Amino acid sequence: MKKITMGLVLVTVALLAAAVLAPAAYAQSGGAAAMPAIPRTAEGKPDFNGTFQWPTPLAGSERGRGSATIFDRKNFAPLKPGGEAFLEPRTGDPRHDEPRDFCMPAGFPDAMLSGNAMQFFQTKNYLTIVHEFQRMTRIVPLDGRPHHTDLEPTFFGDPVGHWEGDTLVIETNGFRRWTLDEYYYTNPKEYRMHSDAMVTTERLKWKDKDSISYVLTIDDPKIFTRPWSQEFEIKAKPEWDKVGLFEYVCEENNRCPGGKCEGK
Amino acid sequence: MIRLTLSLGLILVAGSVPALAHHSFAAEYDETKPIKVTGTITKVEWTNPHVWYYVDVKGDDGKIVNYAFSAGAPGQLMRRGIMKKALEIGATISVEGFKAKDGSTNGFGAKVTYPDGRMVFTAGRPDDPKAP
Repeated sequence: MKKITMGLVLVTVALLAAAVLAPAAYAQSGGAAAMPAIPRTAEGKPDFNGTFQWPTPLAGSERGRGSATIFDRKNFAPLKPGGEAFLEPRTGDPRHDEPRDFCMPAGFPDAMLSGNAMQFFQTKNYLTIVHEFQRMTRIVPLDGRPHHTDLEPTFFGDPVGHWEGDTLVIETNGFRRWTLDEYYYTNPKEYRMHSDAMVTTERLKWKDKDSISYVLTIDDPKIFTRPWSQEFEIKAKPEWDKVGLFEYVCEENNRCPGGKCEGK
Repeated sequence: MIRLTLSLGLILVAGSVPALAHHSFAAEYDETKPIKVTGTITKVEWTNPHVWYYVDVKGDDGKIVNYAFSAGAPGQLMRRGIMKKALEIGATISVEGFKAKDGSTNGFGAKVTYPDGRMVFTAGRPDDPKAP
């Protein structure tokens, strides 16, 4: 009888232990129990409304100097013959080499990486991204419409978005040849430009309630032999919501266009 | 009030914050020519795309030279808790930065130090102040 009692106790303890430990093990294995709570809209879609830091490199990725984010060159696909001309096209003319110096727009993806706060406004049919830098704005339709077919190339291209589960996918084409990233901040000997054939794909997904995985894929068949991607992290900054985005009128006092400062 | 503002700025610069964003550092400034001067603030332009502050500096020959330092955008500084009051006209400051490539008395103002030792980064990357 004593043996039976001891056996029951051991079985009970084992069952209790399994009940306590199993969810933890399940969570560690990436099961449904590991799904983090993320912001959601009333319709159940991931909710990206809010103010955010610019995408920052993951640990171990090339960061560059200053705070503006750059692509890690290790991620680049091999160049096509002649592709170097897009990545090192400096001419010595600052209007060509650094048009932002004349308050020209950074465009996409440069604006996204510029090291400035941004605010997302999401509705059922649109995601609007406002950058503090130059107050640049991207309006991304989410209503299933196709790309335009008759527009001239632009600084920010023609984006359309759709949902793949909890991932928001934004595909953009129709870019004019312009700055690829902020590399000029890092290395004045190499100024990266993309071509007018570039197509970008952004994939945004909440990792947890505080941070978004942001994977940007560059497909530029005039430069690269194949598409390539890099993942960044976008951190939510609810404390920045309280002050909002500050005004940024570049023409207000641009004293040094082209590196030649004027007046005092 | 200025002490409170600066304290907030000092706390906030510990995080990752922006430096220049409007255009390249390399187009205008020479990282091989660091500069450190001490003088009196004569004018402040709290404007985009960059804050500018002007400092009268007495040279070894006794002559006063007015330096102009470029900082981050007003929004970038304010997001770090650095308000215009951090740069009061008439205040004495030391500025560390880099000279302009054009040989003028313009410069990149990376770090401002006050007589009591407090400092703020008006541009540059706080975790690497030498980095533009």
